[in-house]
Amino acid sequence: MSETQKRILMAKTGLDGHWRGPTIVARALRDAGYEVIMIGMASTDDIVRAAVDEDVDLVGLNIGGHIDVALRAVRAVQEARPGLAIFAGGTVPPHAKRQLEALGVEVYPPGSRLSDIVDAAARLTGG
Amino acid sequence: MKTTDSPKTFHSSSGFELRSFYTAADIPSSHRERAQGEPGQAPYHRGWHATGYRTKPWRIFQLSGFGKPEDENARIKFLLKNGETGFIMEHDRNTADHCYNVDHPEVVARREDVGLTGAVMQSVRDIAICLDGLPVDTSFGHAGGAVVQHAPFALAGYWTVARKRGYKLREIAGTGQSDFNLTYLGCVTKQQIPTDAGLRFNADIIEFCGEHLPRWVPVSIAGYNAADTGLNPAQELGTLFANAVEYLDEMKRRGTVPIELAAKGCGGVSFRASIHIFEEAAKMRAARMMWSDLLRTRYGITDPKTANLRIHCVTAGSKMTYQQPLNNVVRGTLMALGAVMGGVQSLGVSGYDEALSIPSEHAHQMSVRIQQILQEETNVCAVTDPLGGSYYIETLTAQLAEKAWEFFDEILAQGGYLACLDSGWLHARAAENQHREFMALESGEQHVVGVTCALDDESPFEVDGFVGTDDAFDVATERLNEIRRTRHEAGACAALKKLESVCRSDANIMPAMMDALEAEVTLGEIGDVYRNVFGDWNTPIQT
Repeated sequence: MSETQKRILMAKTGLDGHWRGPTIVARALRDAGYEVIMIGMASTDDIVRAAVDEDVDLVGLNIGGHIDVALRAVRAVQEARPGLAIFAGGTVPPHAKRQLEALGVEVYPPGSRLSDIVDAAARLTGG
Repeated sequence: MKTTDSPKTFHSSSGFELRSFYTAADIPSSHRERAQGEPGQAPYHRGWHATGYRTKPWRIFQLSGFGKPEDENARIKFLLKNGETGFIMEHDRNTADHCYNVDHPEVVARREDVGLTGAVMQSVRDIAICLDGLPVDTSFGHAGGAVVQHAPFALAGYWTVARKRGYKLREIAGTGQSDFNLTYLGCVTKQQIPTDAGLRFNADIIEFCGEHLPRWVPVSIAGYNAADTGLNPAQELGTLFANAVEYLDEMKRRGTVPIELAAKGCGGVSFRASIHIFEEAAKMRAARMMWSDLLRTRYGITDPKTANLRIHCVTAGSKMTYQQPLNNVVRGTLMALGAVMGGVQSLGVSGYDEALSIPSEHAHQMSVRIQQILQEETNVCAVTDPLGGSYYIETLTAQLAEKAWEFFDEILAQGGYLACLDSGWLHARAAENQHREFMALESGEQHVVGVTCALDDESPFEVDGFVGTDDAFDVATERLNEIRRTRHEAGACAALKKLESVCRSDANIMPAMMDALEAEVTLGEIGDVYRNVFGDWNTPIQT
């Protein structure tokens, strides 16, 4: 079982310390059987490095800042690991949500159901 | 509506099972005599003054700030023009919370984030721009040092600017917050001085204000930041007072200012005003009662001016929804009503766009208007402690205090508040509650309108996230270069060196910090001193 356990990288793109959202999501994903690698506040370089080194199956980004910072991280991950799925949550207003979705990122804004996020993880990791 | 005979139980946020109605017999016997008291009398649960809001309406006090210091200045002036009765300076979190300048690699890596949630203020020059034309003499100002390691810089900057404008430190009123719950529990930053160094900073601020700024609230413990992280109302109360005794015991140990003065300095606090409005009103009453009891029993203080807790409140940001955001105007109004029925002295209402961004101008205006409608139209200011004597509210007040003292004792039994931050025990309690709250939403046990039910939205208004300006990083970079080029370099170096030696000693850091700001030492240079002298807090959670 552990050999087939899917691995999810979770990171915060900003330097903002709010930790409720990602912690709740990480717990729900762990409860659903995923290995969650939390690297916390991470720069684009940190996120790409972890996505490659940890050989993850999915990347989850918590966004608490400007959308351009998140978009840069998304593009860099997509370049380093083409085809690797990314989903995102956090303070993502509608204009930012549309920009992320245009890059193929699924967005779960505040108020999303945890069960929908867990279902998305299954779908995005091919489970 | 259809009646049902289902045995559904109702609970308060703090976990008390609620009865369908209350009678005099429900009020705990220990509280019955107290319930007969009057506002202005110890233990003050009925309010700080008999005439209450008739003589002093609560302060309308909104968190505000973004972009460049001049953008923030314009927004604060907009709020004051619209009726705000104090003002809050919010510093850019990327730089301020970490004491970084904008050229720090961690900031450069996120350059677009800079200025998104507060103005970038790296030196006294930036603070002067932000404060330009603001009524530092007649208004209650918040210098915006919410995070512990940032507070000495923010306060010294504000005070230096006020002094340059000709005001005496003795005359100005305000706060800088310097809150442990924000720094070490609610918004755990990437890098922060350890908690023992933080305690020293706050004690230094209390001491300095005790000597030089009698009208200033040196530290403002924010229960808000504990509650919006997940602690329930009783835990919020217990945590806040466990934090307060950590400060006061340290001040008693130092013996440098009278304990009454130190207690007065710790007696301006903030709470979250959440959506269970009766429980929240009862919480404010319980808080005043607990403070009065704590000061009397632990420190022998009974002077009403000190034993009377002064409360600022902010409505719960986490209760504001992303979906159907205009509904948040109603939520803000209700939470504000709960707070003022509890008799708070100061209030900020979260923007209706809270779940999307920092407030737009319109959202900010609505947060002020909600409070003005409450003050001008509803007559809530006419009668002090309007819920006093209600069997339900008096029972809840007593229950909250009792449960909060249990939590307080639990914290002290583990070595105290700082130890519980260092160990992550408080973070674990918050996380447990967060999980329970989310599961209640998942299971349908709890509903949120527009999110889990009533999903159709016919609103003709599009509410999108507010984005301030796009030049904050570039302008801050230019200004940083300019200050390095044009300040008196030898003076700045000497002031920084002095600050470092004071940090390594037991002396109060504030005089040296004032000199450093005067000499135009920058935030990042001060942060580097902290990192050298104090090292980093060993964060108990991964954030």
